[in-house]
Amino acid sequence: MLKDFLFDICSSQFVSGFEHVNSHILPKYFKPYTDSFEKDKLGSYIFKASGTSETNIMLAAHIDEIGLMVTEILEGGFLSFTSVGGINPASLVAQEVTVFGKEKIFGVIGIKPPHITDAEERKKPLKLKDLYIDTGYPREDLVKMVKVGDIATIKREPLSLQGSRISAKALDDRAGVAVMLETAKELKKISHKSNVFFTATAQEETGTRGAKTSSYKINPHIGIVLEVGFGMTPDMTDLPQLGKGPIVAFGGRLNAKLTKKFVEVCKKYNYPLQYEAVPGRTGTDAEALQITREGIPCILLSIPLRYMHTSVETIDLKDVENAGKAIARFINELDNSDLEEILCF
Amino acid sequence: MFNSELMKKLSDCFGPSGREKYIRELIIDEIKDYVDEISTDPLGNLIARKKGSGKKIMFSAHMDQIGLIVTHVDEKGFLRFTNVGGLKAKNLLGLHMVFANGLEGVICQEELKDKEKLTMGKLFLDVGVTDKEFVKQNFRVGDMCVFKSQYYETEDCVICKAADDRIGCYILIEALKNHPNTDNDVYYVFSVQEEVGCRGAKTAGYSINPDLAIAVDVTATGDTPDEIIMEVKLDGGAAIKIKDNSLIVHPEVKDMLTYLSEKNNIKYQYEILEFGGTDAGPIHLSREGVPSGVISIPTRNLHTSGEIFSKKDVEECIKLVRAAAGH
Amino acid sequence: MFLKELTELSGVSGYEYEVRNYIKNKLKEIDCEYYIDKLGNVIAHNKGRKNKTIMVAAHMDEVGLIVRQIDSKGLIKFEAVGGIDQRVLNSKVVLVGDNKIPGVIGSKAVHLMSKEERGKSLPIDKLYIDIGTDSKEETEKLVSIGDYVSFKSDYVEFGDNMIKGKALDDRVGCSILLELLSMKLDADFYGVFTVMEEVGLRGAETAAYQLEPDLGIVLEGTVSADMPEVEDYDKTTIIGKGAALSIMDNATVYDIDVVREVAKIAEDNNIQYQYRTSGAGGNDAGAIHKTKKGAKVVSISIPCRYIHSSVSVASKNDYENVLRLTKEVILENQKGD
Repeated sequence: MLKDFLFDICSSQFVSGFEHVNSHILPKYFKPYTDSFEKDKLGSYIFKASGTSETNIMLAAHIDEIGLMVTEILEGGFLSFTSVGGINPASLVAQEVTVFGKEKIFGVIGIKPPHITDAEERKKPLKLKDLYIDTGYPREDLVKMVKVGDIATIKREPLSLQGSRISAKALDDRAGVAVMLETAKELKKISHKSNVFFTATAQEETGTRGAKTSSYKINPHIGIVLEVGFGMTPDMTDLPQLGKGPIVAFGGRLNAKLTKKFVEVCKKYNYPLQYEAVPGRTGTDAEALQITREGIPCILLSIPLRYMHTSVETIDLKDVENAGKAIARFINELDNSDLEEILCF
Repeated sequence: MFNSELMKKLSDCFGPSGREKYIRELIIDEIKDYVDEISTDPLGNLIARKKGSGKKIMFSAHMDQIGLIVTHVDEKGFLRFTNVGGLKAKNLLGLHMVFANGLEGVICQEELKDKEKLTMGKLFLDVGVTDKEFVKQNFRVGDMCVFKSQYYETEDCVICKAADDRIGCYILIEALKNHPNTDNDVYYVFSVQEEVGCRGAKTAGYSINPDLAIAVDVTATGDTPDEIIMEVKLDGGAAIKIKDNSLIVHPEVKDMLTYLSEKNNIKYQYEILEFGGTDAGPIHLSREGVPSGVISIPTRNLHTSGEIFSKKDVEECIKLVRAAAGH
Repeated sequence: MFLKELTELSGVSGYEYEVRNYIKNKLKEIDCEYYIDKLGNVIAHNKGRKNKTIMVAAHMDEVGLIVRQIDSKGLIKFEAVGGIDQRVLNSKVVLVGDNKIPGVIGSKAVHLMSKEERGKSLPIDKLYIDIGTDSKEETEKLVSIGDYVSFKSDYVEFGDNMIKGKALDDRVGCSILLELLSMKLDADFYGVFTVMEEVGLRGAETAAYQLEPDLGIVLEGTVSADMPEVEDYDKTTIIGKGAALSIMDNATVYDIDVVREVAKIAEDNNIQYQYRTSGAGGNDAGAIHKTKKGAKVVSISIPCRYIHSSVSVASKNDYENVLRLTKEVILENQKGD
């Protein structure tokens, strides 16, 4: 089930650059719906569902998440760290972490107590170098278990909220990966002519790196990028809402006619859809896909998400289900359309 | 044995980003008798090859150094400029600069009004010539200059300009002169324009399309009172990079370099750099991707006229490059 | 000169259709072979004597705005596409979407401003376009999220041989490129009208990937801070002083030997030229010189004041000089031995 899949992968570690560590998980879920599996040289996972035509469609959702990396082992069992990908230091305060050393080690990130922190200091913005992971071990023991370069993530169990809302770490972009799985399930029910490549890309958070190499390898005719987008909250009210459908993007990085076709399919089959305008950088794998080799026409679909890049990212499962169905239907419609006509200028 | 003569020649040679002609010629002269093939690509990268039938390995050290480019020659004979590569205005005051033709100048500052910040636009070069015609004849918009400073060596260290990355070039030159007996097809690349965005490495990586790539470049250290916090220190051995802003080193490459160091008794340390990048950045994203790593030389005072490294660390780096070339 | 028509067309980065269609028609009129690639670049081929593969590039896109949201009062919130200083948006007329619905970007009446407010411009997220409706429903009948918005600005010739228009960056380049293709020179080159330069040199990258040029010549409209109170050495380029040759910008360190060769061609042909003296800004050369195995590149630009606004200004003299110089550079490079 969708929730079980998400709860499983959100509890597993796939920090940028280390996506190979839990390599058994994704194949377990994608195998029943695809014919083959391989990786690119950066570690992106590519699952292929073969069709009958020559058309290749690449779906891309990044499997990597932001994380921490140990830089120094200090007296008293403290670890200094840096971030892999962009993290707001304020979101790390008073958190529990798991350090992946020789074995998993539990740690806590705290700050100085209020008694000895004056008002001035409390107002100052926090930096990563002000924070430490407290492991509770003496240094002589700790150095046997942890090395410089080891990875750590926030320890967070996924959580069910009201209705179909869930909260977990790394829904950016496990929600996108879940959409791919939903699409794969739908496509297995309706047959498809195009060859569909479900790609869980590596190292998106550090610069859409896996998207570059995997799209070069697959060299598809079109790309469908699945991401998460900013969802409405009281302090940001002019954003798309959770539960009202995935967000389709308009902008220079994306092929206008292909996007329009997707919107038409959603209207025809009554899939809920929201919209956003993206004039320049999208901050997604579309950055890389659009200009790989001679260019790959793309569309970008995002699941509305609150509190991005914190450990309490929140989405509505309905949006993931609807996105999966809409894309499967879109691929089906493309199979029966003149793709060349859609892509020509 | 540290080859001081070679390092001094490399450090003193004029070669800011985009003007690598002289340093390229110098390196060709040093290596031409030791390699099977030499070529230069459209951007100016120098590509030397020791042929083999096995795995294709690419080493990359950059030839270019940071400098300044003249943007204006004014009526009074003063030169205005902007930076080529990472240089801040506040680090330039009073420095001596030298041009390709040997002429020199000193960086001076305009008057700063109340609370005005010092920027490149407030600096100018005084070339010490009162004859304005002479200035017009000998200095043109587009000319570049680099630090003028003296090469200096102690028992264990070297202080010189452009250790970034002439020491990387030194290491590759010494390694290829002692190229191991191997089936590997090894490319020693002396790249261009790293300081302005690792540009040469992008095209060289695309052309060569190696199975494995290792950049050889300087890294910072955490052993001085400045603001950089790192474990890396002078005399800690060859630094095996784990991560910087351009690259997360492929774990298999990091493990291989670790394994080779332990097996060959090479002193090493791990390095995480929280800023900056190297040639391995663009190379590892070439085409379908290339597993890549970096062997770094710990260096203090980077991007100044007096960068400092340890000769022992250099020896360890050469050993590690040779071990990787033959693995 | 195709400049009047080109500057009055709408082609914000990512939506260059009008400009592309105009260029396609012109290429058909002059019987020039071309094709459109996967990103929408127009790649024309002028056949002739050939020593090397030359790519002459000018970008079709202009900076502009894109509709982000329609609020409950029917006012249109937007974002900038490409680099726009918010100060140039105050009190302007714009055209929204394919149907060019006219709208205004207004400003609070000065009588109602406090002393601190006067003289300041609001940041872009506080601005909005007013098309004269009162409700979200009314606006949504005419405007959608994702619609592109460009400045309304007519082409005007004024002063001593001067031009004013929007998007001189880089319709001047496109106009020159069309003129070059019309000349039917006996020299082989690809004339590439690129997309999305202003948002990251996107089109140039894939075009260079396909063509694998030996030499790239980029035609641009470039910055000129040629105004009172600015020192000569800070102006970057000076209006009327001729074709501007780049030595370095934030995307490319130009091969100085190639640049001096172009300068020599200018001198030999009595063509006025100057150097572009700032390291800031970047253009399609940044993508072209680093694609695949790499290429040599030069940038030849027309100085423009008030670039990236609705009122950019350039000199017809500089236009003519860039046209002549580019022609001679192409001929010289494809000269027989």
